[in-house]
Amino acid sequence: MTQPIATGRTVTLTRRFAATPERLFDAWLDPADVRRFLFATPGGEMMTVEIDPRVGGDALIVECRGDRQALHRLRYEAIERPHRLVFLFKACIVGGPVADEWTRVTVAIVPDGDGAQLTLTHEGVWPDFEDKTREGWTMILASLADL
Amino acid sequence: MVEQRLDATFAALADPTRRGMLAQLSAGERSIGALAEPYRMSFAGAAKHVAVLERAGLIERRKAGRQQLCRLRAAPLAEAEAWLRQWQRFWGESLDRLEALIAEEQERAT
Repeated sequence: MTQPIATGRTVTLTRRFAATPERLFDAWLDPADVRRFLFATPGGEMMTVEIDPRVGGDALIVECRGDRQALHRLRYEAIERPHRLVFLFKACIVGGPVADEWTRVTVAIVPDGDGAQLTLTHEGVWPDFEDKTREGWTMILASLADL
Repeated sequence: MVEQRLDATFAALADPTRRGMLAQLSAGERSIGALAEPYRMSFAGAAKHVAVLERAGLIERRKAGRQQLCRLRAAPLAEAEAWLRQWQRFWGESLDRLEALIAEEQERAT
């Protein structure tokens, strides 16, 4: 069964890395790597990185940004090393409004010469306009603008 | 509300015919009849799409004799683009750090 996600826009990014697909893939599930790259912001302090790297498993990544804590929740839907990782994703500021709906992120990795190309697709980034949700996302976007 | 405007913009853009019409209008003013032409569409059919674009504020209409001329309004498009760019940046920054992490690792290995 596929988890329904927020109806919304899709954001896609493609990037080439000087690393094997395996190395690139593993970075997304290794707590030491995740701590350093995923949702880390300059000046922020990573508080929590908990990863349960199996299909249906959850991850919790919390970063302290000044007096705010940014909380990121992930739920893994597909783990196909080294080519495909799919996870549900939502984010909020601790103590702030919570986004009810999941969005979906797909990380696709293909070999590219002596490196690998990564395509990240984020679906559902346009949550419905329930006030609670809207405020939550507005806050996240505001905190992004602070970066 | 910025959010409601964005919603209207994205809803209007969610249709290939309307995106095509906007592309035509980016070259200059067009009548509704001219906008309908590439789609082998009736005037009434084209007028419906034009109305959606107009409600979203993506175009404006003016009367010129017996014709109605449509013109592109860029502001809502720029707003929608800026919003998507914020998300691009959100993920882009994580990918930047991943790149740095891997580069550092390779330097240590050599």
